[in-house]
Amino acid sequence: MPGFRDLLPLEAEILREAQESLLAEMRRWGYRHVITPLVENMDVLDLGLGIEQRRRLFKFTDPRGDVVALVGERTVPVARLVAGKLRTAPLPLRLCYAGPVLSTDEGRFQHRRETYQVGAELIGASGPVADAEVIALAARCMEATGIRRYQLDVGHAEFFHGIMDAVRLPDDVKSSVRAALAARDFVTLESLLEDTPLKSAEHELLLRFPALRGGPEILQAAGGLVRNRRSEAALAELARVRELLVAHGIGDVVNLDLGAIRDFDYYTGVIFEGYGPDFGRPVAQGGRYDGLLARFGRPAPATGFMIQLDLVSEMLTRAPRALALPRLDAALAWTGSGLTTALRLGSTLRLFGMRAVVDTQSRSQAEAHAWWRAVAAANLVHCLTESMVSWSAKGRRTRRLPPEQVAARLAGGLK
Amino acid sequence: MTPEDQVSIAVPTGVLLDGALALLAKSGLARLSAEELGRQLLIDGGALRVILVRPTDVPAYVDHGAADLGIVGKDILWETPGSHYELIDLRFGGCRLVLAVPDASGFNGPQTWPPMMRVATKYPRTAVTWFEARGQAVEVVRLHGSVELAPQVGLVDGIIDLTATGRTLRDNRLRIIAVLGSSTARLIANQASLKTRTAAVQSAVSRLREASGHAS
Repeated sequence: MPGFRDLLPLEAEILREAQESLLAEMRRWGYRHVITPLVENMDVLDLGLGIEQRRRLFKFTDPRGDVVALVGERTVPVARLVAGKLRTAPLPLRLCYAGPVLSTDEGRFQHRRETYQVGAELIGASGPVADAEVIALAARCMEATGIRRYQLDVGHAEFFHGIMDAVRLPDDVKSSVRAALAARDFVTLESLLEDTPLKSAEHELLLRFPALRGGPEILQAAGGLVRNRRSEAALAELARVRELLVAHGIGDVVNLDLGAIRDFDYYTGVIFEGYGPDFGRPVAQGGRYDGLLARFGRPAPATGFMIQLDLVSEMLTRAPRALALPRLDAALAWTGSGLTTALRLGSTLRLFGMRAVVDTQSRSQAEAHAWWRAVAAANLVHCLTESMVSWSAKGRRTRRLPPEQVAARLAGGLK
Repeated sequence: MTPEDQVSIAVPTGVLLDGALALLAKSGLARLSAEELGRQLLIDGGALRVILVRPTDVPAYVDHGAADLGIVGKDILWETPGSHYELIDLRFGGCRLVLAVPDASGFNGPQTWPPMMRVATKYPRTAVTWFEARGQAVEVVRLHGSVELAPQVGLVDGIIDLTATGRTLRDNRLRIIAVLGSSTARLIANQASLKTRTAAVQSAVSRLREASGHAS
């Protein structure tokens, strides 16, 4: 089926490891793992998603006649959970999740309709300290997966809203301006703004949107241009968030981006995106969405982010030091009554954390060596009787030993 | 892929190539001849890497980040919207996307159109959107070349095609009854390049902006 694919052992291993390191980092920050279903009732999703997002859902009716959908993102289900089953849990709540999401549209890049997301949500806390926590967590998460160079661009939805309030334009032109910005079409934007007689500092800011980024100096520069309270408050908040990110120890990977273009109907405050090296699109996206929880009947400020696990593992797969599948430590072959020895030895080695595979059929010495090469394990232990095994390792001569001694040496070699 | 301070730009083959190379020369970013580029397809010139691709492929190179910047006709962007930034109207390669019918046809304004209009075009997406916005039912026949021929042999009522001078239309006894839009060459940018390699990319952008006749 187009847009769906199998992940073979190497890819699956990289993806799983990246997912585990992300969840482990989130847990280290006190975020609790929740698992929400793959299917949600449309009534729930309608509350939280925009028209375009709803259009892209795989929908069907269940036998009771309810319209249900496969989830396209997992923040809305988490919000449902916080306002529902967790409504008595005191706020703030720190939750994280991992799982596949589906879309009827094939993505613009990889033509995938099933992708994997890992995310964290901090619900019930407002203000720069909470914003900075989530951004710092996103940074540490990218680090935890093994991405070597990354950066985070931090902006503010209110900066944009303030400008749109202040800019003097007829309503219809304003909505065209919004549409042009959403489409990142600055040629149309320029012609819309050129045709209007009243030029203000806000006009200038809109035109320079893609270039409004840099270090803390950009806040000063923008502060000198805006003359509206919403944007000014946003700049002050960003300045504070930046200070806190420096305190978190990630000041050097943070840029300020006042021209970030995101879904401004959804985001209400600080927003951010994470980029990896040489990758044409963001790997992590997040921000403050204070309006969502109220739609589920438990008004609460909230912020969070999501990491595209597919992109992370693609980055890792393409990394200069390509990852290899972890090797099997021992291949346990057997002959006749050696089977019970092989089973016992397998259990022992696994207790020591080794990867051991036991053969499914009795083999001669030569057959065992062929099988060993096929499974590519570090050691071959051919169990001959209940008390004697033949142990081979690459570059060493084969030795006959009691199984206990082989177990002890293999386990000792681990150290 | 691209070193930190090098900016890559996708340049289209075809009618926009000469204008694109003239602009690159004027901006001082690269001085290349069409022959030179046609031979190599990829030229690494220190601060700038120029990649020659088919016009319809420019957005793909830019959206995927294989090129930081791209020069592309607006007509292509109508058909393949993407995640790139459309930054500058480069003010060359001007042409219009028009609806044209045979000289002898009775079709003029929308009131004269049949209940179901049949048109041939290389721009199906743009055509459908345009007719839909006007409440006109349309059947689009997607062709890849010589669109002008289609109405003459009775395949369709009219065509939607690009025209710069209108000469090809006149030669094929077609007349324009509506203009869907006008197109010029645009500079597009990858969304991440603007953020991860800001200094180098922005500097190239402002040089191209100046060279294309915009106030800096």
